[in-house]
Amino acid sequence: MYGRWILLFVLGVIAVLMASPLILTVFTSLKPTTELVNPAWYPPLNVTFEHYVRVWTEGGFSRYFFNTLLISVVDAAVMVVIASLAAYAMVFIDFRGKLALQVLFLIGLMIPVTAIVLPLFQIVRSFGLLNTHFGVIVADLALAVSVFVFMFTSYFVGVPKALHEAARIDGATEFQIYRRVIMPIAMPAVVTTALLEFLWSWNDLLLRLLLLTQDEMRTLSVGLLNFQGTMTRDVTGLSSGTVIMAIPVVILFLFFQRHFVRGMTAGAVK
Amino acid sequence: MFLDPDSKWAQRLNPVLFLLPALTIYIVFAIYPTISVVEYSFTDWDGISPNRKYIGLANYERLFTDKIFWEAFRNTFVWSGVIIVINVGLGLVIAAMLARVWKARLLIQTCIVLPVVISPMAVATIWRWMYQPTGVINQLLESIGLGGLATPWLGSPDVVLYALALAHSWSTIGLSVIIFLAGLQAVDEDLYEAAKVDGATPVQAFRYVTLPALRPVTAVVFILTLTQSFKVFDLVWATTKGGPIRFSEILSTYMYKRGALENQYGYGSAIGVSLLVIVSAATIIYMQIQNKEDR
Repeated sequence: MYGRWILLFVLGVIAVLMASPLILTVFTSLKPTTELVNPAWYPPLNVTFEHYVRVWTEGGFSRYFFNTLLISVVDAAVMVVIASLAAYAMVFIDFRGKLALQVLFLIGLMIPVTAIVLPLFQIVRSFGLLNTHFGVIVADLALAVSVFVFMFTSYFVGVPKALHEAARIDGATEFQIYRRVIMPIAMPAVVTTALLEFLWSWNDLLLRLLLLTQDEMRTLSVGLLNFQGTMTRDVTGLSSGTVIMAIPVVILFLFFQRHFVRGMTAGAVK
Repeated sequence: MFLDPDSKWAQRLNPVLFLLPALTIYIVFAIYPTISVVEYSFTDWDGISPNRKYIGLANYERLFTDKIFWEAFRNTFVWSGVIIVINVGLGLVIAAMLARVWKARLLIQTCIVLPVVISPMAVATIWRWMYQPTGVINQLLESIGLGGLATPWLGSPDVVLYALALAHSWSTIGLSVIIFLAGLQAVDEDLYEAAKVDGATPVQAFRYVTLPALRPVTAVVFILTLTQSFKVFDLVWATTKGGPIRFSEILSTYMYKRGALENQYGYGSAIGVSLLVIVSAATIIYMQIQNKEDR
């Protein structure tokens, strides 16, 4: 049975090809400038971190990094709260107009961010939120909230209604049930939501390009874009910057691969 | 919390309180701009001045005669087509191979899916570097004696769109593979056994058992890839900005140039509306296919 081995070999080649752009970028970021004459697939002979130090301090990437981290963490945390609250009402509380609300949230799945950035910019500006992280955060939340409302809704639908009923009979308020009964068993949905929203927020360029024009407010995506524009020939600097931007999400992915895979297939419409 | 939970007021207030945060943000920063983009598209607004004039369908009439718009329109479809061929075709083949392998499966799968989490901005930086005239791709071609094929990938009009599509596919194909893999796991094992008994080769089994069983999943991946690729802005903007000249101009970059950089807000919004219509139509089809599958 050579078939299996041929299959494994072909897949191995594909895996190496898929991984190589990232590996080559890491190689380049660790090479002393003198080794850049070697072909790109030569591993660094004398590993150096000078390029990382350079972009982190002089290149301003430390500021970009913490700006991005702040926005992404707040995005993820607030998203978990507002999306789960809304989904709780949609599933466990009876009220009029539920169907209309469902349709309204459904529309959100269809809106491509790209198409509405022009008026979005105007609205953020009219609230005086241009060049603030708060402005980026609310825009992020608004544009992704329907995905996560549906994610929590489909999770809550699977929770036995009797659990909710029993807590009501014991005299608990809806908010108490939400906090003490439902949320503790919704941890898979919480983790998926937090990871996915963190990822989307971390990676986005377009909204940040429009809404953050002052350098000290900028995120890694905008920082890298500007760095690329002014330092076209700084190959080592650019690759270190790229690695700095990729490392946190790669680590998260390796630790939570299962959650990511489930979340990305479920939230794929966005 | 301060009210008696069974009082009429609490009953009425509860859903409002639970929904208020999400709904407020959503309506103000997502629904309102969506309505606005349609409204702007009927005006001559420059994005700055306090007054704007309604000019009816003038922006849309201009769209129809705007050569650059149609170039961007065509490019967007070509770009999407290339990505669909790669992500659906190759994605399916890779998933089918992965499904038959146990050794090292997680490692291989990780290598294929990992690029999905990489930011389009980082993808742009990496591929721009690899595509340079002296970059790794040309180095590689020369080292294996195919130096004649070396070209400035992002600088040549005939190649740039395909080169960028390849970069986008690299960073998204992992998602197709995952969805196909999930679909493959749902295919009835007995069908393969029956095919084996009937003397079918693995290729025949793939052709006559796997492919028909995967038709709904394939439709999902198809539409998903279509909508995702139509929305792309970051990757193209961070590599070529639509160039050289306009050979990689797609709808989103053209809209950004007109609307955000040249202050033609009304016209840019009309381009945005065309994007909105195409993507929402595709999404509605996508959701209907998924609904059918869930049942």
